[in-house]
Amino acid sequence: MNPAYLLAELARRPGRTLSAILSVALGLALFVSLQAYAAGYREAARAPLAEIGADIAAQRQGDVPEAFQGIVFPHSTAPIHPDEIAAVRRLPGVETVGEVVLFWDFEPERFLVVLGLDPTSNIGPGRLRAAVTAGRFLATDEHGVAVADVTFAHQAGLGLGDTLPIAGQPFTLVGLVDTSRAGQVANANLYIPLADARALSAAAPNVRAVHDFRAGDANILFIKANQAQADSVITAVTDLLGEKAIVSSARSFSQVLGEAYRLVDRFGWLVGLAGLLLAVAALLRAMAANLWERRRDVGVMRAVGWRRREIVLQLTGEVLALALGGVLAGLALAVLVTLVLSQTHVTVPVPWELSPTPHFLPGGAQAMAVTINLPAQVDPVMALISLALALTCSAALGLGLAGRAAKIKPAEVLRSE
Amino acid sequence: MNDLLRTENLDKAFGRVNAVQGVSLTIAAGEFVAIMGRSGSGKTTLLQLLAGLESPTAGHILFQGQDIGHLNEDGLALWRREHVGLVFQAFHLIPTLSAMENVALPLYPTAVRPEERRLRALARLEQVGLSHRAGHRPGQLSGGEQQRVAIARALINQPSLVLADEPTGNLDSQSSAEVLDLFRKLNHEFGVAVMVVTHDREVAAVAGRLIEMKDGSIVKRDHPARSLPAPSVRDER
Repeated sequence: MNPAYLLAELARRPGRTLSAILSVALGLALFVSLQAYAAGYREAARAPLAEIGADIAAQRQGDVPEAFQGIVFPHSTAPIHPDEIAAVRRLPGVETVGEVVLFWDFEPERFLVVLGLDPTSNIGPGRLRAAVTAGRFLATDEHGVAVADVTFAHQAGLGLGDTLPIAGQPFTLVGLVDTSRAGQVANANLYIPLADARALSAAAPNVRAVHDFRAGDANILFIKANQAQADSVITAVTDLLGEKAIVSSARSFSQVLGEAYRLVDRFGWLVGLAGLLLAVAALLRAMAANLWERRRDVGVMRAVGWRRREIVLQLTGEVLALALGGVLAGLALAVLVTLVLSQTHVTVPVPWELSPTPHFLPGGAQAMAVTINLPAQVDPVMALISLALALTCSAALGLGLAGRAAKIKPAEVLRSE
Repeated sequence: MNDLLRTENLDKAFGRVNAVQGVSLTIAAGEFVAIMGRSGSGKTTLLQLLAGLESPTAGHILFQGQDIGHLNEDGLALWRREHVGLVFQAFHLIPTLSAMENVALPLYPTAVRPEERRLRALARLEQVGLSHRAGHRPGQLSGGEQQRVAIARALINQPSLVLADEPTGNLDSQSSAEVLDLFRKLNHEFGVAVMVVTHDREVAAVAGRLIEMKDGSIVKRDHPARSLPAPSVRDER
């Protein structure tokens, strides 16, 4: 293949060159952008749990409390027992498990959402330690202390060092946290040591009335799983917790992301692939027309001593150069489109079960949501796949076209005009 | 003189039409031969047979004693690349290539380095008096200039035989004279054998030998060109 001849052909037929490059570029940009869009939504669906370092949240549906007095469990959080927690930890693909106890405290003068957590855990609300705005976070093995959400503390007129009763037990406020910086999952007004939350729950009459709450129980688990095994972990956890299991994950979040995402997720590959193939077809149609116009040129090449394979190589080189130009332009276009997409916002609704507040309280039924910029970006693997696909298709069909063109009999096309 | 090209009882039929029948001729090295005849007499078909662009129905074509009938199409292409230069009535230049690139076209698939290719193409353009038009594309050249570029292309591999099919057929008288002058110079000064197919007696008059065809067969041969009327075009130069 002669590069000088190839470049001359491409440069001096600008209309054909540009239209061929553009058709490939548009098809490829459609393919890569759709994949980036779908991947962005998949990533967005991970956001609510990813904000607290988890991939999966596991709960069990319970019964509605008999009376909303003192400590009660939201009906989306029944006890999960230590043997079940241990079984979850042993599941293949489970990397870490964080345990919490979430309860409501109905007092005559105030309502509280309280979360008991292990301050040493790197998964789940333990991550709030990075969102402390005043004072300090909970320390290991301490009791009778609490950290308050800064907005709640402001509304309740609470400050550091104040004592606040929870089910009659005094808790000293040692820190304030900005929960809005730590996600919308398992939000609470107060955060207390897990052992204290367990003890309070175990002693609460309205918990005991509907639940068999034992020492070491939790009512929400946050699970960090190996990405490759996440689906099997979800299935296994669902099986372990029984028919009342509520297992939240990127998969369940993606189901509430809307029709557009579902369409792209389901048909994005197909539409993108069809676009890419149409682009290659357009390129080849252009090349076929071009080769028909250049039959005389091919005849001249044969007449002046070009062998068939030399002509095939030259013409295939042209198709490949156009395809490569189209792929590079398409990738640049896809990056641009993806940049624009990444400036759009996506709102991921957080199911009520993951951050429950009583429906009968003001704002209790208000849906929580995580709003983020769509994390769309061009996947390098996808870019390489599309590059390989476009070049392979172009090379194969280019070889076919060029092979046919090279069979032209020079005597037929070079007769005097 | 040594035989450069010899044909023995050459036939070419297209279906029931016998375009060339029983043609036996010899072209010696350094000879200038003109083939004349009316349209449809088979002279262009004969040239295409001699160039290996068509395969004969019967008979043999021997180049320097070797039968080129045994060569496949790629073998014939290589043979043309090494030994034969072709010039057509319609010039047949590649429209997207410059004059220099067109001249270098036969060298593109070879191992000749780009710089040497450029120098050789420029030298051929110089030979036909067009080095100043090296960067121009065919569309920017006159008919006569295009034909001179085509002649330069035919010479790029220093062939021992140039086959020209109506090389002045599309040219005005001035350009025809220049092209004929080039062929004569090639033949006289560089010893290249030239075979020109023409129906123009003024062109044929430049040749050292004339072969006349009718209905696919040679009807007259070995008529010296000087027996033809003096070519006024050549005389003007």
